Amino acid sequence: MTGKQMKRSLARYWPRFLLVIPFLLVAFVPFYNRVEPTLGDVPFFYWFQLAAILIGAVVVLIVYLLEMWVTRTTSRAHADLDSSGTPGDIL
Amino acid sequence: MSLNVTAASVFVALFGLVTLLGFVAARWRKADLNLLHEWGLGGRRFGTVVTWFLLGGDLYTAYTFIAVPALVYGAGAMGFFAVPYTILIYPILYLIFPRLWKIAHERGHVTAADYVRERFDSRFLALAVALTGIVATMPYIALQLVGMEVVIGALGFPAGGLTGHLPLIIAFIVLAAFTYTSGLRAPALIAVVKDMLIFVTIFAAIVIIPAKLGGYGAIFASVPQEKLTLTPPSGDSLGSYSAYITLALGSALALFLYPHSMTGILSASSGKVIRRNAAALSAYSFVLGLIALLGYMAIAAGVGNNPLYAAGFAQHGANFAVPALFLDSFSSWFVGVAFAAIAIGALVPAAIMSIACANLFTRNLYKEFWKPDCTEAEETRMAKIVSLVVKIGAVVFILAIPQAYAIQLQLLGGIWIIQLLPPILLGLFTRGFNAHALLLGWAAGTAIGTYMAATRGFVSSIYPLEILGVTLPGYAALYSVLVNLLVAVALSPVLDRLARRGAGSATR
Repeated sequence: MTGKQMKRSLARYWPRFLLVIPFLLVAFVPFYNRVEPTLGDVPFFYWFQLAAILIGAVVVLIVYLLEMWVTRTTSRAHADLDSSGTPGDIL
Repeated sequence: MSLNVTAASVFVALFGLVTLLGFVAARWRKADLNLLHEWGLGGRRFGTVVTWFLLGGDLYTAYTFIAVPALVYGAGAMGFFAVPYTILIYPILYLIFPRLWKIAHERGHVTAADYVRERFDSRFLALAVALTGIVATMPYIALQLVGMEVVIGALGFPAGGLTGHLPLIIAFIVLAAFTYTSGLRAPALIAVVKDMLIFVTIFAAIVIIPAKLGGYGAIFASVPQEKLTLTPPSGDSLGSYSAYITLALGSALALFLYPHSMTGILSASSGKVIRRNAAALSAYSFVLGLIALLGYMAIAAGVGNNPLYAAGFAQHGANFAVPALFLDSFSSWFVGVAFAAIAIGALVPAAIMSIACANLFTRNLYKEFWKPDCTEAEETRMAKIVSLVVKIGAVVFILAIPQAYAIQLQLLGGIWIIQLLPPILLGLFTRGFNAHALLLGWAAGTAIGTYMAATRGFVSSIYPLEILGVTLPGYAALYSVLVNLLVAVALSPVLDRLARRGAGSATR
């Protein structure tokens, strides 16, 4: 990959680096392997990981929206990101 | 245990409804079902919502609903690894699979092996991918039957002998028939019903059951202290910590390499649909987290000591924890709903898995090595027949062979399927990998992974790896795929150079 191509990819795909967040959340087991602090009587080990599911979902959603935005605003944006979409995409 | 008439009636009624849907599905988005991509991929026309139901129904199987809480019930915190696992699958889905979808769509690939065949121009690498997929999926289908057998048993149908297996056999004949006629459209449509039943059941469970047991505080208080968190490692071992996280990561990497996941992904109508679902499918992960907690609710409800359920536990072990909990907590008609949700939850993935195996067999074995010039209609007929054979095989397997073997084979299946990561991933994002190097990597990874499981007597996939005097117990699948990757990376340039020398001055 040439430097120029690399730059172009980076300009378009930088939101994907955010996807490391869900990995970091669960990577360090000793951090969440504890009972305290509890949340409504639920030990930390359990409520933290359930909360991490929601955070992970939000991160993926943000990356999706950012990428859509970057594609729309970048002059060099190629149509291929969404070329496959049709109006009936929702169902 | 006598037959629970109310529950069984609701169960049978819901099952009948779903059967009807399965046959009606043939006319849904009408197209020529004699084309393989129509029968086996639903015409690649499923949008965001249908894909959400289909993948949700496909990945969160009946066995998951039974086995994850059973693991939490028996082993405590370690069983909760299913939660980080489901957190990790969505970034992976987002990053890798829209690209594979795009290539498969442009080139008309129906299976992952189709893609590998063209990308590396190697029919034997494609054969390895296809065989691994089929072999890893077969025990998985069999395990769906286990999930179904547990709830049918819990309804009080007479156990043992041929009559004991009759409900299961009927259910599978129904499944085979509508898969044959409607292809992937059937599980897609049924998944909508299945998921709604599951959501209703789980939300009822997390409200009603804790209220009966005196709240979440009482539930967690009834769990033995040593089960509530992972045992902190001691000495020169990373103990449960490395086991927990490698299980989560290895399972997450393996999930989308399974043929049935691949079929679900390739049937989407665009890459955008897959990206949207990478966020939206987390709703199922959250439900799975709640389902895992049912294991503790079963401990708190004391179903294990209840003489009413002793026979069930004797026959099915910890897998009986959730059915017993539902019998204990819900009124009869709702038990019927909940059990129907689990049984239908077995039909959806079993249908998709058998379609995925049929696609692999037809495209990458039959057409590749047997009948390269078969017509599209012949190809599709072959796939339909194979989908039947696969299901008959699964029924025979579960009736003739002890259940423990199915579980061990599924455990090995996870180790085998992850070996497809280098051919599929490296092909998508890099150039210049040598097909023979990838094939050798696959062989090395499969052999070492199998060896690691063998040292544990095939009952555990946690291998105590020793590095510089420190023991790192971890998921054998993850360790073995690293070996696979190293072999592929190291041998690629060497084999490329040999090939060039072998070709002499011939232009390439």
